[in-house]
Amino acid sequence: METLTKEKIEKGLAVLNDHHDSKLLTHLNSCVRCGLCAKTCIYYLTDPQEKNIPAKKVDIVSSIYKKYNTFTGKVAPGLVGARTLDEDTVVEMVDLLFGTCTVCGRCVSHCSVGVDISYVIKKGREMLAQMGYIPETLQSTVNAALVSGNNMSISNEDFVETLEWLNEDLQFEVDDNTATIPLNEKGKDLLYTLNPREPKFFPLSISAMAKVFYAAKESWTISTKMYDITNYAYYTNHNEEAKIIAQRLYDEMENMQAKKCILAECGHGSRAFRWEGPNYLQKEYHFDVMTSVELMAQYIREGRIKVDPEKVPQIVTLHDPCNLARTGGIWKEQRYILSKAVKNFVEMTPHGIDNYCCGGGGGQLAMSEYNDRRLKIADIKAEQIRKTGAVIVATPCHNCVDQLTQINITFKLNVQIKTIAEIVADAIVLESKSE
Amino acid sequence: MEWYYWLVFGSLTICLISLLVHFVRLVKLGKPKDYSKQTGNMNAAMKYAFTGSMSPTKKESAFLYLPTYTAGILYHLGTFLAIFLFFLISFHMQIHGWLQWVIVGFLLVSGLSGLGIFIKRLAKSELRGLSNPDDYISNILVTLFQIFTALVIFNPVFLPGYLIETSILLLYLPLGKLKHTIYFFAARYHLGYFFGWRGVWPPQ
Repeated sequence: METLTKEKIEKGLAVLNDHHDSKLLTHLNSCVRCGLCAKTCIYYLTDPQEKNIPAKKVDIVSSIYKKYNTFTGKVAPGLVGARTLDEDTVVEMVDLLFGTCTVCGRCVSHCSVGVDISYVIKKGREMLAQMGYIPETLQSTVNAALVSGNNMSISNEDFVETLEWLNEDLQFEVDDNTATIPLNEKGKDLLYTLNPREPKFFPLSISAMAKVFYAAKESWTISTKMYDITNYAYYTNHNEEAKIIAQRLYDEMENMQAKKCILAECGHGSRAFRWEGPNYLQKEYHFDVMTSVELMAQYIREGRIKVDPEKVPQIVTLHDPCNLARTGGIWKEQRYILSKAVKNFVEMTPHGIDNYCCGGGGGQLAMSEYNDRRLKIADIKAEQIRKTGAVIVATPCHNCVDQLTQINITFKLNVQIKTIAEIVADAIVLESKSE
Repeated sequence: MEWYYWLVFGSLTICLISLLVHFVRLVKLGKPKDYSKQTGNMNAAMKYAFTGSMSPTKKESAFLYLPTYTAGILYHLGTFLAIFLFFLISFHMQIHGWLQWVIVGFLLVSGLSGLGIFIKRLAKSELRGLSNPDDYISNILVTLFQIFTALVIFNPVFLPGYLIETSILLLYLPLGKLKHTIYFFAARYHLGYFFGWRGVWPPQ
């Protein structure tokens, strides 16, 4: 660990004094350490020990706050558990706030008081970001996005080549030589974004969405300059870097003169751009932002696309990404889609805004040093899936797809993991050319 | 007026001023400014934040820990009752007959609930590790407040002890976790704001 200098300490502590409103002060002073949040957390459920109680994570941040900002903490630190921000504290903070939390927020709505535990944890992460103690593995993902324009460092040439190949694939799939994946076309109704995992590992999910757009006769385009919906600086809580990444997509929306920005199936990316983005940028968007899940639900509702559930006869269950459902308010749309597009839909228990995290959130997929923990907490999700008897697990998030794929292998679930677009593309009924 | 009345009124004044400082600071810092496009119904979310979301059927912190949750509810109800009775006792109002016994009985139950929570914190290693002296002191002061209230209703001979204990509680309240008296409401407000803005609360 790099030496903790006085300057770094000051930067870290400044985060706790940076009040934009009463939220930070409120949540730093609200936890009563009742410990009743313990069983809401997948880390505690799979490894019941003190450090895995969400309140412990709140405590390490609020104890520092007390030490430097409260009368009791300054005069009698031992009385209220006030802690000095020193190297030991930093090491523990990294372990608790990055290594033992997916920031899924499940503990928040179950907290007996109403402490926004995720918010406090993210403030702690912000302190570590300001002090320069972000895990290198996670920071390297942010750096890749900052340097190359996407978190997978895909070159523009490779990206265009992939899309050209997918274009041919689309034409073959829909049996129409005029079908196209439009690139960099200005003035279209929609600018569609992607999770870079798609061109890199899951190109068929791009084909699937292209097929949906084709069937809906949509006016859309993809920018080859800025298509990355992800924003890993949302996880590091380095807000200046998060702002740079959000600004790029904002600028590209202006450059492409699109009316609406469509967020690909990515939980944290949707949250980072739709909900946090305007706050990073300190301005309201003058364009609409919508997730592709909402858009597909709208297409089905309006009859712009037709789906046949007989085409997807297998048992399908749904995993709700935390950032899309619990903190994004999108959990009815994917259910509406599946109710129309698959024959046998089975819910997990619990589900929706109360769903368990898959274990891949909070930047965990990028932090290989915590791989063992990530797969251990996945036991909960594996059991949830197993109980449904599903053959297909649908999820509107590529991070979740990645984690669920690893869960599938580790826990030998023998299921298929699909995005919602892939399900819709499977179920879609294309108009015959004669019509 | 006896000295212990002066003590308790002085402590009450200090306590109220301290809590007022916390409250004014919260108000001055103000409500969040969110630049994202609101999709939810804020009024409905706020209502839900202070009602439905706290239902024991909605919170795992309640239904997975029913004995602790029940003890906690009784303990808090006992505290509210003891606060109400504090003002009656301070103004020399007396309670007689069956009501006296009902109140004494309830305060003993709520006080025992507080004691139960104290023992749980002490006995469970995870909770012990999570706790600091403030957690134990806060619990003991509030539990004693309820017990002393019961005693003084039962027999006024306990009045000096009751008022001294209450004074200590009032002076300690703004210093530690008991100030959640104020912050609890602010936390519910912010939760309602956050989830309401995004259309998560109230769940439909």
